[in-house]
Amino acid sequence: MVKRREFFIFFLLFLLGLFFVYTYGEITKAKAKVFESIEKHEIVQISDVLEKLQKRIVSHALAQNIKDLPTFFESKEHAKECEEILSMMLASDVKYAYILYKDDQEKFRFLLDASKTDKANFNQKFDVNTPEYKLLYTTKKPQIIKQQNVENLYITYLHPIIKDGEVVALFNIDFTTDIKAIILESIKPIETLFTLLAVFIVIFMAMTLIQIFHYFITRKKIFTDPLTKTFNRNYLEEISTILNLENYSLAMLDLDKFKLINDTYGHKAGDHILSNVSKIVKSSIRESDILIRYGGEEFLLLINNRENIKRDICERVRHNISKEKFVYDGNEINVTVSIGLHSNPSLEKNLQEAIKKADKMLYEAKKGGRNRIIVYDEKKESTDSSSSSSKDLAFVKEALDDDRVTCYYQPIYNHKTGEIFKYEALVRIIGEDGKIIPPYQFLPQIKHTNMHYKLTQRILALVFEKFKTNQKQVSINISFTDLNNHDIEETIVQALHADDHLASRVTFEILESDEVDDIELFKQKIQLLHSLKAKVSIDDFGSGYSNFKRIIDTEANYLKIDGSLIKNIHINSKDFKVVRSIVHFALQSNMQTIAEFVHSKEVYDKLLLLDIDYMQGYYIAEPKSELALNEELFHSSSS
Amino acid sequence: MKKLFLLLLLVFTLFANERDVIQAQILEKIFQNIEMHREIVLWSDNKNLLQEFEKSRRFRITDDCHQATLLVVQEKKNLLKETCKKAVFVLDYALLQEIPESFGSMFWKKGRPNVVLIESRTKQQNIKITEELKMYVEEKIW
Repeated sequence: MVKRREFFIFFLLFLLGLFFVYTYGEITKAKAKVFESIEKHEIVQISDVLEKLQKRIVSHALAQNIKDLPTFFESKEHAKECEEILSMMLASDVKYAYILYKDDQEKFRFLLDASKTDKANFNQKFDVNTPEYKLLYTTKKPQIIKQQNVENLYITYLHPIIKDGEVVALFNIDFTTDIKAIILESIKPIETLFTLLAVFIVIFMAMTLIQIFHYFITRKKIFTDPLTKTFNRNYLEEISTILNLENYSLAMLDLDKFKLINDTYGHKAGDHILSNVSKIVKSSIRESDILIRYGGEEFLLLINNRENIKRDICERVRHNISKEKFVYDGNEINVTVSIGLHSNPSLEKNLQEAIKKADKMLYEAKKGGRNRIIVYDEKKESTDSSSSSSKDLAFVKEALDDDRVTCYYQPIYNHKTGEIFKYEALVRIIGEDGKIIPPYQFLPQIKHTNMHYKLTQRILALVFEKFKTNQKQVSINISFTDLNNHDIEETIVQALHADDHLASRVTFEILESDEVDDIELFKQKIQLLHSLKAKVSIDDFGSGYSNFKRIIDTEANYLKIDGSLIKNIHINSKDFKVVRSIVHFALQSNMQTIAEFVHSKEVYDKLLLLDIDYMQGYYIAEPKSELALNEELFHSSSS
Repeated sequence: MKKLFLLLLLVFTLFANERDVIQAQILEKIFQNIEMHREIVLWSDNKNLLQEFEKSRRFRITDDCHQATLLVVQEKKNLLKETCKKAVFVLDYALLQEIPESFGSMFWKKGRPNVVLIESRTKQQNIKITEELKMYVEEKIW
């Protein structure tokens, strides 16, 4: 969840920064220590000399019975002698050396100035008033004044001249900054290096911080669906690796008849509904629950198992949505939601498997009349699930969302006229790498899930769109369970009811192998298709369990003979006999016959011996994204 | 008195590099504490100093030494003989000896700013000095 790499880099930089700050501090301390030791060394040396000199001055003055030092230094002889000694201290690091005394008016005056430059006169007033001068008189101890690099001065050393226990004057030694400057100069490259490194680290730290800040800003956008303000599938992917399914129940929510809302009131109305529904869902769940827009009108809800109220939460969501009166553009729109709930997703192999189970329950909820919650029952489903393939539902979901679902069209050939009679629409998914993925790789996996409905709806939309403007006929495969879905039924009715011309050119191929548990309902659905002026074909006849009575009852227009009976017809006499019987039956029942799986000339020639109406197969033409023309037939690679 | 003292201390510790600025501030402080029989109109041969005086606007300044009442002199050669009768404040201790009309000096000694006012000359020129400047007053030039 958190961008660990950036944090790690920032932490490293922070440590590095601390290291440099520490090192820089140590260098500064070392520098101060170096200066201190230099000071001490210099001062100790000078102090010894001055101590001797002061004793000499005092003893000389006493010996000559001179009462005060000004009188002593007034003598040019004495002044010269002392100046000579004092001036010996003047070196590259000592700039000025002089003796001061304090007069009756507390003014400091020069007694002697041994400096080579800026020489003062005897008794000239000198305005020095730093506290150390007074302190020297009171403590009678040497004082050190650290100058602020003023006039090339570094430190001033004051040494008292004591006579009869009283300070009568003081030596004033001004050190220059020359030595300090040399030391500073020598360590400057190291300091500069550390400063530059510190600056770079600060810059890098700032950049990393900005990146982390930017990450948190964009993170919200990346993981939030802009319309519903809920999390999106990116977020689901992000948390899927760290999500502990033991802590959650998983519910799939799908708005009922949402396509109808979009088609009737427009997409803006649909967006309005979605936005408001998500608000209701959010207000019906807890902070600890996670709501994700899984795609379109479908939501995934991870319900925290903290309290055992998952069913209550689902019921609350369902109830709150169904009682709400949505109003858009003056129209009152009623919305309901179907929910598939999996209480123990941690029992599944992974999150995708859990989603698939919940989706299956959602399918059941839709099938059961919508606006209801179906909870997954592990015991009941254990036998089913064992046979179920684990193809990722998300694969089809993503294809639908990314508009990578397409149709290929295979001609159904009328060998009597030598022309294409119609085309069979066959679903394909375009992989993310651009490769075409055939239906057997994904259709079985999504059977009996809500995704199957959505895929069928997409195919219907694609085919209706393609054929409404041309004169060709088309066959669409559809299962009985698809026909039972209200949304699909509404899609078909809406499209064909308004367009007789299109309806008359559409054939629905219903899989004969589908389990039809409610014969009356099946008949009703077929009747509905007939009433819309569409045609009905029984697909894969000969592979399922239906009996002739049911086939006759369906009043299908076409009977498509299953490929398993056709593919070896040129070598298998039994298949030939069965097919001949089917053709005879179809003729008697007023149905036309189509033979599929015509893969070779041998099969084709054999079928010509029978009174088959139409043929379809790779020998004649392969399925293609565009509608094949008559002249393109019998030119496939297998021919 | 303390203010000037603190100023001198401050100068010595922090602002030594801005000599002219500080020098001007000290001089202004001194001139604020002296009283002449006429309004103080400053002239100086140090043009930087004059600019600093102009910036502070505490005193009138002039480029024409004839219109000035107080001359701040850095070098003796810049002092015209006919104007020597005016009060002179010098920027070098040695000039106190060389220019008899000078009554005071502000100068740098061993990197520290120093002020000296000669008592006899101030009296002679009828220049009154406030209490604040008393500690800078000297009876003679050493």
